[in-house]
Amino acid sequence: MTPTLLGRIQTRILLFGSVGAIVSFPFGAAGLLVLFVALILGMLWDILYNVIQKLRWDRDWPAALQLAAGVWEGLVLLALFPGIFNLWHYSLVWLSVFIASQSVMRLMFPRWRFRGGRWL
Amino acid sequence: MTQATVITVSWIDPATGGARQEIATAPIVFGRVAISMPTTINGVATRQIELGDSDISRFHLLVDWQGDRLVATDQNSRNGTFLNGRRLQSDVVPNGGQLQMGAVVLSISYAVASIPAAGASGGGIAPVGGVAPEGTIIRRVRTSREILAERQIDPRDIQSSRLPMTEVDFASVGGGLGSYIWADYLRVFGARTEQIAALGMREPSPYANYKRLCLNSQIPLHERLRSNSDSCPDNIWGWPGYALREAWYDLTRGSAGTALRYLWQVFSEPTLSETYTPRAGRVFDSIDREARRIGWDRIWRYGRVKAIRQTTDGRYAISYAQSDEKRDPAFMIARYVVVATGYPKIQFLPDLQAYREQYDDFRTVVNAYEDHNHVYQQLAQQGGTILLRGRGIVASRIIQRITEIRQQTGRGDIRVLHLMRSPKTQGNTFKFAKRAVANHFEFQPFNWPKACWGGDLREVLEKANDSERDELIKSWGGTTTADRRDWREIVDRSVREGWYAIRFGNVSSVVPNPNGGTLTTVTGNSGEQEVNADFIVDATGLDAEVKYNPMLEDLVNHYQLPLNPRRRLAVNNSFEIQAMRQRQGRIYAIGAIAFGGPYAAVDSFLGLQFSSQWVLDDMVKADAPGLRRLDGWASFNQWMKWATNQAPN
Repeated sequence: MTPTLLGRIQTRILLFGSVGAIVSFPFGAAGLLVLFVALILGMLWDILYNVIQKLRWDRDWPAALQLAAGVWEGLVLLALFPGIFNLWHYSLVWLSVFIASQSVMRLMFPRWRFRGGRWL
Repeated sequence: MTQATVITVSWIDPATGGARQEIATAPIVFGRVAISMPTTINGVATRQIELGDSDISRFHLLVDWQGDRLVATDQNSRNGTFLNGRRLQSDVVPNGGQLQMGAVVLSISYAVASIPAAGASGGGIAPVGGVAPEGTIIRRVRTSREILAERQIDPRDIQSSRLPMTEVDFASVGGGLGSYIWADYLRVFGARTEQIAALGMREPSPYANYKRLCLNSQIPLHERLRSNSDSCPDNIWGWPGYALREAWYDLTRGSAGTALRYLWQVFSEPTLSETYTPRAGRVFDSIDREARRIGWDRIWRYGRVKAIRQTTDGRYAISYAQSDEKRDPAFMIARYVVVATGYPKIQFLPDLQAYREQYDDFRTVVNAYEDHNHVYQQLAQQGGTILLRGRGIVASRIIQRITEIRQQTGRGDIRVLHLMRSPKTQGNTFKFAKRAVANHFEFQPFNWPKACWGGDLREVLEKANDSERDELIKSWGGTTTADRRDWREIVDRSVREGWYAIRFGNVSSVVPNPNGGTLTTVTGNSGEQEVNADFIVDATGLDAEVKYNPMLEDLVNHYQLPLNPRRRLAVNNSFEIQAMRQRQGRIYAIGAIAFGGPYAAVDSFLGLQFSSQWVLDDMVKADAPGLRRLDGWASFNQWMKWATNQAPN
């Protein structure tokens, strides 16, 4: 799937709010707080990623760049919340969101991949 | 009464509430499952009518002439047949009689006096003799040509002309991949097989033509197509993609290394590794499985389509020949029609076209998409020179093939001269991005930038007007090849070894040379040069302009339809040919014939799925019978059926 800016933001909200929230519960209030901040900051990062994407000829966003973005966002969260940032929690959120975006999103929203990640 | 007397069977489809009608000659067989019904009775071919009602037996009822009486015989069905309300074993069906099976009530009508023996193919203009069924106006018998001359066809004219006529809800013109992908969406969205018909001219296999083009252009079954992992013509969700499937296949056969490689490829493509592409044979096998699941063999019918017309009752009539002889015209009436005729023509460069016509030589000047194996055979036996024109993906394939022949035969005297119009040292640019170039080949994983399929470039093109679209297509298009390491190495090595060379210039003439080959005169920067070659291979591609397809040209002329700047059918953003809209139905165009419209990659697997998805959503909005919007859990449910190989409904 090749995301558009609106698609990135919509997918991020849906997946952070569903699978992201589910895997964050065991980590308590701290987990949910980090998830919430990750979501808000993420939507700002999406604007930057979208600019970078436009510099690429194919205007695509390979999975490898998705992983790089995840590492980068994690480092920023660690700097912001050195006390409560939990690497296990963050990795679990990233992995579950990644897997869901690669599978169940396509099965539940057949138009999602044609609309740059927009599901609404 | 003769065997040729036509019988009209009408009923209301209980599942969709739509009116259905079949016009046929006896014997007619009715049942729930086509393969359970006989194809001949006493040596005469039957007309099979499939009725999707669970109370109807697999082969339920036979209607046939016994002398001059039309007799219905129940085939020991579980729930019985009722003639005008009374249980029937075997009895004469009067004109206007009603036969009930399960929830289906069939009205049977036929002319009760003898008909002049003009045959069912309807040649002569003669009045219908005798007494017509009650309530029918006696109409003049017209030939199919006369019927087609009208702006709109009255279905009763077809009926009174005694031409075979079938009614369906959904019909596609073309029996290839476009039709198949559309039919796949229809089935998954709720349509039943008997609502759908695909009229095709070649073999029933939906990929027959595509496969032929692949093999001709040097992609054998074990080679990989230039297609993405999640462009799966057998699966509307694109998941699991071919990479995951191939990884699973290899893993279960103990080949963990290759399995991991495919997964790594889809994860890191195209930046860290080469883009994953599926093997041709695997793709064809997956299409076969899905074709069985959706009942494609009951959807596909042989039909050489001659014309498409509007009908006076707000639908469409498709006139077609039922066999190659073109003497057996028939009509299909449908509410929704998709035109998916694909590429009608192999494209030749003008000077090569002129050469072929002038010297009547189809052996030395060939197209990469036609069968040209004799070229490779002769090169393997005698050596020689190929002049290659065009620099797309097919050119890369041919260079690869020549490399293999050189290795297998050990012949050093096989050469390739690649003629290009001008050097390509800079890739195309669009806004801030630039396409990569090496050895005058432009590289791109697929034939359009990837964001054309579902990313922001798709949206940009959809929102643009006609002339903006033309400009966008120019800057994103052009011939490109995939950046495959093996191809780069082949080209680098062959240039070093001196058997592959690139020349630039414009061709001023092509004539035969005394050795049975060709002499091409090229005008370039350094003046005129002459190039001798045993063969010229044109690798410039295929064309789908409306003018190359007589049926489409007739449609465009008959209704004064607009064309887009690329001379293809103008469609709206739902792929509808809006100028053809009717009260009850719509016509759409998908695939190569819609290129130049709202979508760039129309002829790709994923592009055909995209178009079909948009067409289906539009039909659901228009309340097409038996369809519902597919989303959320309903979509997931349908995927489960795909995964467990169960029929969609």
